[in-house]
Amino acid sequence: MKANEVPQDITYYEGKKRACYALNDEGKYVIVPSSGWDVEAVVNGLAVDEMAASLEVTRQAVLAGSKSPLCYHMELRQMTPEILAKTAGIAKFRLKRHLRPEIFAKLKTSVLDRYAQALAVTRKELKTVPT
Amino acid sequence: MSTEITAGGKPFIHRHSAHCESGVTSALFRDKGVEISEPMIFGIGSGIFFGHLPFVKMAGVTISTFRSQPGAVFRKSAKRLGGKFITSRFRNPQKGMDELRRVLKTGQIVGLTTNIYWLSYFPNRFRFQFNGHNLIALREIEGGFRVSDPMLEWPVDCPTEDLERARFAHGPLEPHGFMYYPQSIVLKPDLRNACIKGMKDTCNMMLRIPLPIFGIRGMRFLAKKVIHSPDKLGFQGACRELSSIVRMQEEVGTGGAGFRYMYAAFLQEAAELFGSDDLVLLSGEMTAIGDIWREFAIVSARIIKQRGQSEDNFDKAGGLMMICAEREEELFRNLRSVVRKLKA
Repeated sequence: MKANEVPQDITYYEGKKRACYALNDEGKYVIVPSSGWDVEAVVNGLAVDEMAASLEVTRQAVLAGSKSPLCYHMELRQMTPEILAKTAGIAKFRLKRHLRPEIFAKLKTSVLDRYAQALAVTRKELKTVPT
Repeated sequence: MSTEITAGGKPFIHRHSAHCESGVTSALFRDKGVEISEPMIFGIGSGIFFGHLPFVKMAGVTISTFRSQPGAVFRKSAKRLGGKFITSRFRNPQKGMDELRRVLKTGQIVGLTTNIYWLSYFPNRFRFQFNGHNLIALREIEGGFRVSDPMLEWPVDCPTEDLERARFAHGPLEPHGFMYYPQSIVLKPDLRNACIKGMKDTCNMMLRIPLPIFGIRGMRFLAKKVIHSPDKLGFQGACRELSSIVRMQEEVGTGGAGFRYMYAAFLQEAAELFGSDDLVLLSGEMTAIGDIWREFAIVSARIIKQRGQSEDNFDKAGGLMMICAEREEELFRNLRSVVRKLKA
């Protein structure tokens, strides 16, 4: 890749730039900052869209009352039950029970606080989903 | 490039790098007065690799990697350059943060392994749960730390809470607050010897691992899998797999098959060091291979974007990867015979 071929397609990095190694005119490798590449936008966009879509499905499920808000916040942080259970210090099978709304509604504040701490949200936020 | 002052009053020069781990390691060496570039660390630490792990799934898709496992570049390059590093992990986050503060107060900059999701200074769409990102803490500031992240152009501020969450995140490859800083460093390291060791190790990893999922064999394996994927997974599933391969190539690494270009940069520097014309040729060949990898990414993106409407198809993408495997095999075989002739 030559220095003038380094992609400068879009401002996909929100103003930040990424370093690329490319050949300058004398055939030496130098660092050239790149502002983004269309290809990357496509493949990363696919992953981001997929996550957003599945998060939306979960949000609807919470509003419909088939899943607990904990499930939404866990997905928002891109966590799996394994990761969240370890972060909050709560057994995985217990956490999986808490993904059911009727059980989540009865949780003590001490347990809620541990989830809130692990997910970096307030206790109030944890009990709701954005409408 | 920009200059920053550490707690010890020493200037620290921040350099924009393509890869986090080699960037951090080379910055730690430079801070101690050893002038060494990022590609050099990458080559000496045998950073280039290929692997496809069909049995490990992250968010429903399999993992392919274009680099050696996180931590290996630091470990290997430090050893080969004769640097002694103090490394520590912690069970208790509080103790980990206290120790970081204590070391920073002595004026020493510290390399940290973190989870990229919790580093809020990154753009949102790049924040994934990935536990292998490296950065350097420069000094403590009010409510946080001044950090030099080699992926960014300038040093930034990171709130204490973010850094603590990032250092003690859970999940695969837990960092456990891993921190490292040099204890003693050889000021005039034996670069030639280190380069030879690094290159030999790389050739062995690419050519001689007797498993079909690593090195050149892994590339062929994955190429065949890509060609057959639409029959096995359906178009949508095949697209997801393909996009995850390209994402690993572009995102969880460096822009545009960057590892291949970085290794070409290393070969170029090594050619100067040894005065070897063979290495110059190999560097050129590596650049050409990097261009094919980019071509692969472009074709893949077109497949995903146009939903199979154009003449680009999975056969073409897999075919390009097969060409990469072919040429990389030849390159590493040549490199192996060139290295044997080099004198330390």
